[in-house]
Amino acid sequence: MKRLTISPPLAAVLLAIVLFLLSGFLPNGFGGNLDVATAQAVNIVRLSVFLGIIAAGQTLVIISGGEGIDLSTGAVVTLTAILTYTIVNGRNEQVLPALLAVLAVGGLIGLVNGAGIAFLAISPLVMTLGMAGVVSGLILVITQGNVSGAVAPIMTQLIARPVLLGIPGAILIWAVFAAFMWLLLERTAFGKNLFAIGANRTAARLSGVNVTGMVIGTYMLSGMLAGLGGFLVVGNTGVVHIRIGDPFLFPSIAAVAVGGTLLTGGKGSYFGTMAGALVLTLVTSLLTTMQMQESVRRMVLGATLLAMIAIYGRQRGFRQ
Amino acid sequence: MPPLLAVRNVAKRYGAVQALIDASLDVDAGETLALIGANGSGKSTLSKVINGVVAPDRGQLLLDGRAVRFDSPHAAKDAGISTVFQELSLVPQLTVAENIWLTREPLRRGGLIDRRTERRRTEELLSLFAGTLRADLTPDTPVFALLPDERQIVEILKAISVNPRLLILDEATASLDSRQVQRLFELIGQWKAQGTAIIFISHRMTEIEQIADRYSVLRNGQTVGAGSMKETTASDLVTLMAPETAGGAVERRRASPDALATRRVVLQIEDLRTSVLRGVSMQVHEGELLGIGGLKGQGQRDLLLAIFGGVPWSGRMTLDGKPVHFTHPRQAMNHGVALVPGDRAGEGLLSIRSILENLLVPSWRNYGFPLRMKRARQDAAAIAARLEVKMASLDAPVSSLSGGNAQKVVIGKWLLRNPRLLLLDDPTKGVDIATKAEFYRLLTRLCEEGTTVILYSSDDEELIGLSDRVLVMHDGRISSELAGAALTTANLVAASLGVSAGVAL
Amino acid sequence: MKQSRWQQATYRHPYLFALLLLVAAFIANALLQPNLLEPTTLNRNMRVFLPLILVAVGQAIVMIGGGIDISVGSIVSVVNAILATQIGLSGDLSTAGVMMGVALLVGMGAGALNGLFIAYLRLQPIITTFATSFIYAGLALFILPNPGGGAPSRLTAFYRETIILWLPLAFYVIALILLIWAVVRRTRYGRYLYAVGGKADAAYETGVPVRAVQFSTYVISGLMAALGGIAMTLLTGSGNAQVGDPLTLSSITAAVIGGTPLSGGAGGVAGPIMGAIILGLIRNIISFANVATWWQTFVNAAIIVLALAMPGIINLVRRRTR
Repeated sequence: MKRLTISPPLAAVLLAIVLFLLSGFLPNGFGGNLDVATAQAVNIVRLSVFLGIIAAGQTLVIISGGEGIDLSTGAVVTLTAILTYTIVNGRNEQVLPALLAVLAVGGLIGLVNGAGIAFLAISPLVMTLGMAGVVSGLILVITQGNVSGAVAPIMTQLIARPVLLGIPGAILIWAVFAAFMWLLLERTAFGKNLFAIGANRTAARLSGVNVTGMVIGTYMLSGMLAGLGGFLVVGNTGVVHIRIGDPFLFPSIAAVAVGGTLLTGGKGSYFGTMAGALVLTLVTSLLTTMQMQESVRRMVLGATLLAMIAIYGRQRGFRQ
Repeated sequence: MPPLLAVRNVAKRYGAVQALIDASLDVDAGETLALIGANGSGKSTLSKVINGVVAPDRGQLLLDGRAVRFDSPHAAKDAGISTVFQELSLVPQLTVAENIWLTREPLRRGGLIDRRTERRRTEELLSLFAGTLRADLTPDTPVFALLPDERQIVEILKAISVNPRLLILDEATASLDSRQVQRLFELIGQWKAQGTAIIFISHRMTEIEQIADRYSVLRNGQTVGAGSMKETTASDLVTLMAPETAGGAVERRRASPDALATRRVVLQIEDLRTSVLRGVSMQVHEGELLGIGGLKGQGQRDLLLAIFGGVPWSGRMTLDGKPVHFTHPRQAMNHGVALVPGDRAGEGLLSIRSILENLLVPSWRNYGFPLRMKRARQDAAAIAARLEVKMASLDAPVSSLSGGNAQKVVIGKWLLRNPRLLLLDDPTKGVDIATKAEFYRLLTRLCEEGTTVILYSSDDEELIGLSDRVLVMHDGRISSELAGAALTTANLVAASLGVSAGVAL
Repeated sequence: MKQSRWQQATYRHPYLFALLLLVAAFIANALLQPNLLEPTTLNRNMRVFLPLILVAVGQAIVMIGGGIDISVGSIVSVVNAILATQIGLSGDLSTAGVMMGVALLVGMGAGALNGLFIAYLRLQPIITTFATSFIYAGLALFILPNPGGGAPSRLTAFYRETIILWLPLAFYVIALILLIWAVVRRTRYGRYLYAVGGKADAAYETGVPVRAVQFSTYVISGLMAALGGIAMTLLTGSGNAQVGDPLTLSSITAAVIGGTPLSGGAGGVAGPIMGAIILGLIRNIISFANVATWWQTFVNAAIIVLALAMPGIINLVRRRTR
């Protein structure tokens, strides 16, 4: 059935490029102006960074198989964004402690997810869904409805502004991050074992892989990466509200799917997810440029996702 | 008069594997046809073509002389062809009665299921095997609560409940005990008398000789012979099935019991118990090839898994004189123990991953950080070359390999770690003859180099040919030990069936 | 494999755990709210629970069949948007009747689209219904960009105030669902549903029309979501294109608490109904227990997680003690 000679991540990148070029022909598009085009391209990539990094944890969890999914991502992003905002409170020297704190908090939430899934055999969908509720509740408890704080100047400078050759810091961070993710997935025993448990948990266990530990570790990492996402999101926007992470949840799953990672686990890449994040961000911003209503934007996004999974997400049939 | 069913020149290819090339058979009403062939000869594929599960690429089926085409198992069943599947077709969550009558539930007026009639009919069917089943097995027992033999019987009852014109029994006796098999054979006699045609697929020659009227032999997807059972002998049939192995491809010099006794004891087990095992004690010596025999499903799998830390157990175990109690395969692995599991696709391989990654799963931690991929690739390539794995490249998915080559990968991943104790659970199942021979040479060499091997095999010839000693298991216990002159196929078969032979423990 | 008594009991009565939880929640609620059993109080609670009950029943049927439907909330929103805009606060009853019929068809159509992609194009349920949920949510927003519209008060009053023989309307709806389910359970379709969710390959080999059964579960789920949407509209009497959003996840929670595993082939409809009521009662208990406002969401979620984890904890403890 799989006769595609082109790999899904590449397909997603090509789709992103085609969409971008088409966007030039829009009435308010860049037309033939190269400078404007470059600026717009850079901006799209910059906007994709946040979804891209938040979707990284989702990628790991989905690769780990066992119907893996992390629905607590959105709530964790919100919580950690708020924590960053409050801890930093405008002071540069508080940035590092804040980063460590959000990683710890995200990791802790992921740890609970992983423990529930691995030890109590709760399905990932249900466990992380419940956890999303708990974290949302926690946010209300902590904020009591109002958040006070501020981001530090250094964060704005490093994340939102151009740092090198006019390239915004966020993009550089993403590049380094991508290298780290590649290293993790392709050049560590953890990454190899992750693919192994995603492909076949029984075979992995009988080959000496500690499946329980891997599952817990993966959900923990997912929580930490969502925490990093929250930190970056607030660094970019400079303001925070108690729903700031929600819009990232479902796109984070969609980006993984569009990037060609097998939703049943065992196969996929972070590059695919990056391409998926690009496509989704591009489609969204294209529709915004076209001054489409929110309603049409959602429908087009849904249809795009449906089309992408229909192309390479089919399951096997019963009859051979 | 045309035969009830005639199969003419059927061919079927799965991807790169040509499962059937040219298969034909005839079966008449009121007779039992034995469909025989070595593992991987295409018996199961042929039966699936007949019952509509698999669509053939070529060839035709003639029912009462008329060409038919079954687009689904349902269509075949409507035509009166019913199958006892080898891979069970029961839904675990449904009850015995619900499973047997699925799609054919008796209905009351108004379309509701008549559960009383359903239960009564189920009880009638269960009574066919009365005396060989647990007393608490009722029509309302959920299938997930049944033992393997009970599931198999429910499967048989489900197939016969349609009053088929043709009944296919595909390895239906594999998990039954001898009483249940004898009862089944009595029933087959009755069904034959009522005019039912039966295709009987089995590996057990004694059963075939007992029950079949005629035979049809498949070899490598081709029908190579057919005729009446009266006019043939078991050895003729074996020659037809596998001419190149007649006489035995296994040639390993057995260590004498005395010589073994002088060697160091590698593994000693006392009173090992799991949910299946009921107190197993044994010891294995360095460089010994210990065979585990017996009918399928007598606890062989659990024994190997327990040693490997794959299932929880109680009892005592010492490895190289030191007490051990592995609770995870990783611990066993770190002590130099390796397991080639029985279900290759389900337990041995990461089908969607590459050959390279399959070979390296247990060993990644030895390659540092970042992983030294060049060295890992060299090691994998070396082991693949040593085992002569026929593959496109190390990066090809392991699912692209044939059964024999895929098994080499499973073994190869352990050889990379130089295990001291190698556990093998029916490793040559579905492996072609040439690869089997390579495999026998490999095991021989490993033992010479001092590796200790514990081998369970469903192939009696293989077990006798390779082992220094064979422990026969029955119902979670070791029922007898065969060594030296007592180590013969006849004794093994007798011991498997519970007839005492050899040296009783 | 030996089955423990608890496993046997939960197999025969999948809603057993939910029933225990329901009794506990009910007692706790009755202690805090002594007039709970008075018809008006009962009605005030049940009319709020009913939309989720309807949606959860549909969700459970999809889950028994081995799937999941993430789009139910969006379907509720679409129906709400249609009714609120097409009937309006001053609409007459015949328009309302027609529009409710249209709403049911739209719900079934949306379900059919899900079923088409999942059963016949063999896409994965989670991601497919997630994608269509975007489409339906967009549609709802397209029909009703800003909250507004509504249903005439005669209609909402019927939904909100009907009490027959001391029992609120919701009880009769539930009784009707249970009655229909009891019948369905005794038809071949009922058997097929469990067979398909339990082991689709085995069901296929036996000749069960697996694809058609899978397809049907999504149509039923769409229909139940539409009914939930109608109930929601009559409850709120107004239109809001996002009114259904919370129902998706709550319906899954209610079904799981009600003994319907995500793995399919088990569970029933009574459990999810109890699950939905439990979720409502927990909310009640929290608000009556004087939990500080800002803590309410947290406490609610924590109790739900505990309820979801309880079967797993019971199994873990049993394994340890054996």
